Amino acid sequence: MYHAQAMTHRMGLGLLSHMVLVGALTCPYAAESAPARPSEDQAIAAFEARVKEYVALHEKLEATLPKVSKRRTPEQVDKNQRALGDLIKAARHDARPGEFFTPGMQALVRRILVEVLAGPDGKTVRASIMDENPGVPNLVLNERYPSSIPLSTMPPQVLAPLPKLHGELEYRFIGSRLILLDTEADIILDFTEAVLPQ
Amino acid sequence: MRMRRTLAFFPAVLLLLAVCSLARTAAPIPPVAVEATQGPAAAAVTLPNQSGSLKFAVLGDFGTGKPPEYELAAQMAKFLAAFKLEIVVLVGDNLYGSERPQDFKLKFEDPYKPLLDAGVKFYAALGNHDARAQRYYEPFNMAGKLYYSFKAPKEKVRFFMLDSSYPVPEQIDWVEKELKGSSDDWKIAVFHHPLYSSGGRHGSDLRLRETLEPLFIKYNVSVVLTGHDHFYERIKPQHGIVHFVVGSGGQLADGDIDKASNLTAKGFDTDQTFMAVEISGDKMYFNAISRLGQVVDSGVIERRVPQ
Repeated sequence: MYHAQAMTHRMGLGLLSHMVLVGALTCPYAAESAPARPSEDQAIAAFEARVKEYVALHEKLEATLPKVSKRRTPEQVDKNQRALGDLIKAARHDARPGEFFTPGMQALVRRILVEVLAGPDGKTVRASIMDENPGVPNLVLNERYPSSIPLSTMPPQVLAPLPKLHGELEYRFIGSRLILLDTEADIILDFTEAVLPQ
Repeated sequence: MRMRRTLAFFPAVLLLLAVCSLARTAAPIPPVAVEATQGPAAAAVTLPNQSGSLKFAVLGDFGTGKPPEYELAAQMAKFLAAFKLEIVVLVGDNLYGSERPQDFKLKFEDPYKPLLDAGVKFYAALGNHDARAQRYYEPFNMAGKLYYSFKAPKEKVRFFMLDSSYPVPEQIDWVEKELKGSSDDWKIAVFHHPLYSSGGRHGSDLRLRETLEPLFIKYNVSVVLTGHDHFYERIKPQHGIVHFVVGSGGQLADGDIDKASNLTAKGFDTDQTFMAVEISGDKMYFNAISRLGQVVDSGVIERRVPQ
């Protein structure tokens, strides 16, 4: 499966690079970070393919649950979220750190953060990220987001150059680690090592 | 001996407090005008409380489930008797800590029961303490969306409810499109992180300001309602836009307003606060009301008109 996807990705690399470049030139929020380099294209393509694959899994599992309205009681919100979370945990029982944030993807994240934080607004971007962001000593993959800690603020200047996510996925920081969060199931799908430069 | 005398006084003090409390309950406090002491947006006024106007409240950083939240909520309910609120806009941090079903009851449904029972509709924006699943919670009227807009039931008013902790480019594009397409007289932006704040703990979110403010200026947003910093602050108009920080619905950062800030038109950081607002035609009247029922700020704002 991965071979087939890699093939498709190679074919799409030219288009992807073009899109990233055009996006960076037209998007005002990306002004502080350079567009992806050719060596990073492969890491982005692999990340996006993994995200796509995960979103398909999420949707497939969600479809097995009883349909619920977009307007719910707290009990329905909780029940649905936990049921979906359990299904995802079971389906990803063998998940390992680095499944989404591969070494290449982590290098890309580091490079983006170094560039954004070295810019004239770096100090305030860092302050936004670290606002009410105490971090936790141990992050656990496939577990619920800890309810005791607030969600970190993601400045537009950091979000814009990161690969776009689909479905219910979000990037957040916990301490100086970037996590990938399924907000619908409230589950941490992956996390990086410390990527926020000191 | 002294101890015994003190104990003897205790029931009398309790009785006195109970009488005072009953007196406050029996006579709803009408909105009172006070002078804004630090360069108000306009002359201080009493809310006109006219029929046919849009009446709403603003509340933020409230969902603690602790007594100050309940006491401010009781003040809101008391206010409702004299001022027929139709909606409450929530600027985020709607539930702190755990968000189990019983937490929704403790931190939202119970304190605001009188308002909910009276048919007042709440519209929420999410803060950094809010789980994303709150978007499905029916009484928050988000219909599953993290950012959305809605038209007020009266007057030509549209609220733009943004998700300021996660301003992805798609959201910024969406808000531009929505603002551009809106022909409403009043455009009011509501979100959690303030573009302007004199808070010592958080303060202004400069990066968000860089992204959103040009759109607000270009498309005639008149008022911006935010929270995050746990106090009430009215900011001196910035590019013709009046910004409020109303992050004191349950939490309180006592003394956190930087007294040296040149942003503050009026600040209040010694008690919980909510805002009561009335829009009638081109005017928006507001009172900021404390947990004890004091009006700590009031004024009137003229809407911005396209140049």
